Amino acid sequence: MQVYSPPLRDMRFVLHELHGSDVLRTLEGLEEVTPDLIDAVLDEAGKLVTEVLAPLNQSADQEGCTYENGVVRTPKGFKEAYKTFIEGGWNGIACDPQYGGQGLPASVNKLVEEMLCSGNLAFGICPGLTHGAYEALKAYASDDLKNRFLPKMVEGVWSGAMCLTEPQCGTDLGLVRTRAVPQADGSYKITGNKIFISAGEQDLTENIIHLVLARLPDAPSGIKGISLFLVPKFLPKDDGALGPRNGVLCTGIEHKMGIHGSSTCQMSFEEATGWLVGEPNRGMRAMFAMMNSERLSVGTQGLGLGEAAYQAAVAYARERLQGRALTGAKHPDKPADPIIVHPDVRRMLMTMRAYNEGCRALGGWVARALDLMEHASDPQTRRQAEDFTSLMTPIVKALFTDLGFASASMGMQVYGGHGYIRDHGMEQYVRDARIAMIYEGTNGVQALDLVGRKLPAHMGRYLRSFFHPVLAYIDAKMDDENLSPLIAPLGKAFGALQLATAHIAEKGLRDPDEAGAAATEYLRLFGLVALGYMWVRMADVAYEKRAGAGDDAAFYEAKIATARFYMDKLLPEVAALWGAIKAGKAATMGLDETLF
Amino acid sequence: MTEIKKVAVIGAGVMGAGIAAHVANAGIAVLLLDIVPAGASNRNIIAETAVEKLLKADPAAFMSKRAAKLVSTGNIEDNLADLSSCDWIVEAVIERLDIKQALYTRIEEARRPGSVVSSNTSTIPLSDLTAGLPESFKRDFLITHFFNPPRYMRLLEIVAGAETNPDTVAAVSHFADVKLGKTVVACKDTPGFIANRLGTYWLQLAVGEAFALNLKVEEADTVMGRPFGFPKTGVFGLIDLVGLDLMPHVQGSLKRALPAADPFHATLRDEPLIARMIETGFTGRKGKGGFYRLNRENGQKLKEAIDLATGDYRPQAKAVVPELEEGGGKDLAALMSAPGPAGRYARAVMARTLAYAARLVPEAADDIVAVDDAMRLGYNWKFGPFELIDKIGAARLIDMLKADGVEVPALLALAAERPFYRVEAGARQYLGTDGTYRDIVRPAGVLLLADIKLKSQPLLKNGSAALWDIGEGVVCLEFTSKSNALDEGIISLLAKALKLTKEKYKALVIYNEGSNFSVGANLGLALFACNIGAFGEVEKLVASGQKAYQDMKYAPFPVVAAPSGLALGGGCEILLHADAVQAHAESYIGLVECGVGVLPAWGGCTAMLERWQTDPKFPKGPMPAPSKVFETVSTATVAKSAAEAKELKFLREGDGITMNRDRLLADAKARALALVEGYAPPKPIDLTLPGPTGKVAMDMAVDGFAKRGLATPHDRVVSGALALVLTGGDADHTEPVSQARLLELEREGFMTLIRTNATLDRIEHILETGKPLRN
Repeated sequence: MQVYSPPLRDMRFVLHELHGSDVLRTLEGLEEVTPDLIDAVLDEAGKLVTEVLAPLNQSADQEGCTYENGVVRTPKGFKEAYKTFIEGGWNGIACDPQYGGQGLPASVNKLVEEMLCSGNLAFGICPGLTHGAYEALKAYASDDLKNRFLPKMVEGVWSGAMCLTEPQCGTDLGLVRTRAVPQADGSYKITGNKIFISAGEQDLTENIIHLVLARLPDAPSGIKGISLFLVPKFLPKDDGALGPRNGVLCTGIEHKMGIHGSSTCQMSFEEATGWLVGEPNRGMRAMFAMMNSERLSVGTQGLGLGEAAYQAAVAYARERLQGRALTGAKHPDKPADPIIVHPDVRRMLMTMRAYNEGCRALGGWVARALDLMEHASDPQTRRQAEDFTSLMTPIVKALFTDLGFASASMGMQVYGGHGYIRDHGMEQYVRDARIAMIYEGTNGVQALDLVGRKLPAHMGRYLRSFFHPVLAYIDAKMDDENLSPLIAPLGKAFGALQLATAHIAEKGLRDPDEAGAAATEYLRLFGLVALGYMWVRMADVAYEKRAGAGDDAAFYEAKIATARFYMDKLLPEVAALWGAIKAGKAATMGLDETLF
Repeated sequence: MTEIKKVAVIGAGVMGAGIAAHVANAGIAVLLLDIVPAGASNRNIIAETAVEKLLKADPAAFMSKRAAKLVSTGNIEDNLADLSSCDWIVEAVIERLDIKQALYTRIEEARRPGSVVSSNTSTIPLSDLTAGLPESFKRDFLITHFFNPPRYMRLLEIVAGAETNPDTVAAVSHFADVKLGKTVVACKDTPGFIANRLGTYWLQLAVGEAFALNLKVEEADTVMGRPFGFPKTGVFGLIDLVGLDLMPHVQGSLKRALPAADPFHATLRDEPLIARMIETGFTGRKGKGGFYRLNRENGQKLKEAIDLATGDYRPQAKAVVPELEEGGGKDLAALMSAPGPAGRYARAVMARTLAYAARLVPEAADDIVAVDDAMRLGYNWKFGPFELIDKIGAARLIDMLKADGVEVPALLALAAERPFYRVEAGARQYLGTDGTYRDIVRPAGVLLLADIKLKSQPLLKNGSAALWDIGEGVVCLEFTSKSNALDEGIISLLAKALKLTKEKYKALVIYNEGSNFSVGANLGLALFACNIGAFGEVEKLVASGQKAYQDMKYAPFPVVAAPSGLALGGGCEILLHADAVQAHAESYIGLVECGVGVLPAWGGCTAMLERWQTDPKFPKGPMPAPSKVFETVSTATVAKSAAEAKELKFLREGDGITMNRDRLLADAKARALALVEGYAPPKPIDLTLPGPTGKVAMDMAVDGFAKRGLATPHDRVVSGALALVLTGGDADHTEPVSQARLLELEREGFMTLIRTNATLDRIEHILETGKPLRN
């Protein structure tokens, strides 16, 4: 059963104890962000999710969105829930106060996002896209566009959508055909067809602001000839009120595996009025501002579903009575022992738990870097934070969604045959989680981004932001009595990561296929080492705090036990990955194409 | 004639003064004369001003202060008699026949019989110059045409007259080759000789076609640049550099002198825009700007380019030439057949330019080698025109010319399906005008690794270096990595080369034919390793480099290093550990590590301390040597010539200097062989260093610089680490410090610095921008 309850204790641990929330207040513009404020926000968000959004998760999945004559209806209850959501100011919690946002740091927002994803992923997609569009417009749009559109988008009465994909062009956006023709008044007429547009049409908001990739008449071919345009569903009048309908039409919605509560639209633009965002032919830059933000959010989707699946699995493992423990009955008073007594069930639960908490900690580190990028006064700190986010974005996206899907699948496994039955809600997590590995750049594309762009950038400078702190930490804690059983495997895994990185950098320089063939394995290796580092750090905090923790001691004991599980049982995968990377591309590329 | 020991240069303009400076660079006394301006109180004012300008020239005209002192100044009224003491008199006055001839008559009266007179004319035929002059003058007269700037341009065109004494030509050629380091190209007495004739044809065709095809200057310069191996200034950038106003002069004289049938005339066209630019002072970099300019209006610095159609300046933009993207432009034939404007432009200019080159043999030059040498060394083309034709294919070029309705020159038709150059039995050959191939014969004393490589296989080889047998028991270690950057491969091959030399050979020469000896350690690799925290690997490389350099220094056979171009950082440290150095005069040597935030750690600090402390002419005591080394190394000082490197002790007083690049290997080999007999390796010497008190003094000096804003925060960190090494760490001046200990200090200092973010930022910045970061 879907039993989600926000993991607030662990979130507070990550935010306050692991990454130190006190730093946030020292940053410009975040002076008001006190631990009390943060906790209150998280509590309220938890309530919103459990009381308003989670109850709609299964019904929305079963009902789905409906399409008729260009109109899309979201599942029952979504409209009301959305109203509650925006009235509570949740839509703009991480947005700039200048446009009516609450200016909360990403460190907090990412946790709220996670709760939304756990409680009702499909519902969260529309506000998520609005936020991505907000980021792109804030970074690249003219002041005029910003002032006309951002306040309503921040408030949530208007939403955002990103229109990239076309039937002939998915990953390769250089193939975009949609055209933009300049008009005398400085606007453009946009014509073309887009597909797979999440929340491209819905009945939650009064207007939808599409960010559309299109080509100018004299644009160079390929990716260097793509520009970004803002195209609203309704053209606002000068006073901000809705004006006439623009030439934007939803011509159908997709029937898909999961996230049924979110519409995936085919959009047709016919001479639709739009405005250029950023410079001509530099649309990809602006698009990436949105995409990077979205990629981190998709990673959070993986984590959110992994957490929801874990909680449901634990609940079931405690109450499902079947057979006896291998070492003899543990609950002789009951007709059978709960299945949680079984090592293999424990294996699954521990794995899910270790992945989820590890990802939450790593996500918290990246979110902290986002805050430093935005708010730190020292340019050096900002640059390091930017390096780190650039490096970790593909890892967060691909690793979190891979692990989220694995957790959802394990959660279903814990339920046995019942997991496969719709009523329990476990198969929904599996279906919902699967898309996150695909959209916003498949996980394969993320791996290529990591090895092809992030690794070589500035002769490996992005890597420094991860490798140096980890190395320094290992050096510093090498002789720590408590940590040594954890530090040793971390040191070994980190060594493998160094070797793999040097190996790919060297081989990939001469033969890009070598880097390509190792990319997915490398991203996972990197991600697992990063989680390992987070787990040792978490255990470090737990050891320090458990003595005087009183009632909370159990929380820290659990951390230490889970850290142990991660280091002993999950991190060793690194050795296998390094072995596979070392083997090179030959085994992958050797088979003649015709023999497939 | 006798040996040339004293030279006079008459005419102290840019060329005359530059020639005088370069003669002085060769260690020869030179008298620089010009006219007495009307009413001048200082009668030598022109020559003296010229020398002052030389001293300030950038790039420097003189190789050393010593050279500058060899130039004496005077005027042709008072000092003409002094010509009698000169062995060679170079005339470099204004390009007017009447003035030159009048001067020659006066020279003839003043000079010593048998002395040589030559003119630096670029346009006037020799037969006109000597017309009416006595037989004795004609016998001693020739044209020596230098290129600007004379120190740096390796081409010297020599034109001998029918009556010129062949011994005189041989003597001047030999002097120019060995003493001045020039590559002498013998030219026939035809207008513009070789380089300017073809160069001018090419330039005016390239300019005209750019107008005709309506190209942007950036586009034209991109096509007429890298793809053909031309300097990246292209054509418009080059004209800006030499001056727009100079072009009509050169064109005019060629127009007057060349026969009507010459294709030169067909390419001449008057561009009103260019005439207008010259009239209004837009003559290029020396004027208000040219085809490009830096617009400094309103305190800005905006790079602009001219619009050839309107004549207005607009912001400079990177040329978009799709034909050259993604590896395009490597196949020149394909580029010249491409349908777009870039292809049409490449075809229109280069097919005819190369055809014109083919017409020049035998009209202006005896063989194709002379033309290729002239264009490579006089116009800095990477490939001579005949080498370019070989890339395209003579047959392909003939097809193009036929299709374009251009007459196919006889030499090109003769080649037809054959290449102009080939390698036969390990020898490079060229196609003669009789249709047979002849060996390219190197002059005595010229030994090129390129030739050896055609004939033999390397003794050792890896991805970064190779070892060659250069005969008489001498082996040559060649670096082959990118920019000859030092990496693990070079260090390991050096170690192997030392072992092999010890077993089987007499001596080792370290030399290569790259444009730079070595730019130092491969920082890209080191930076990546540091970024992933692989400091152990970096430390290993430092230690293995130290060991290889020490093994080289104390090897039981002589090691001679022969640099040319840059020898920086680890490249400089190679020189510091060799028994002797034979340096090309144009060697730029320095320990520049501090600039990128590290310190010399392959024994450079130690070797420099040893050199200064063991110099008998330098003050004794623990402090002077470290102070001197600190001053040189902390500021990353680079010697701008081999001569200057001696002053800084990057070279020893006894190290040799070779003026001609092509003679460097032979000189180095001879040097090595001379050391073989009775060779004994040096003994390690302990050094007396001041220890902590000395470091305090150095730190205070740096603090002073920092206060005056001359040292950055990280400069202080780097200087501090350097000072620690140079003062011997915790040394005490009563207790000598071993070199092993100093090497250990170098390693520690290096590793401390390379772990700092500021150092890594410096390395990244220099790799990405080529400029040092002042952080």
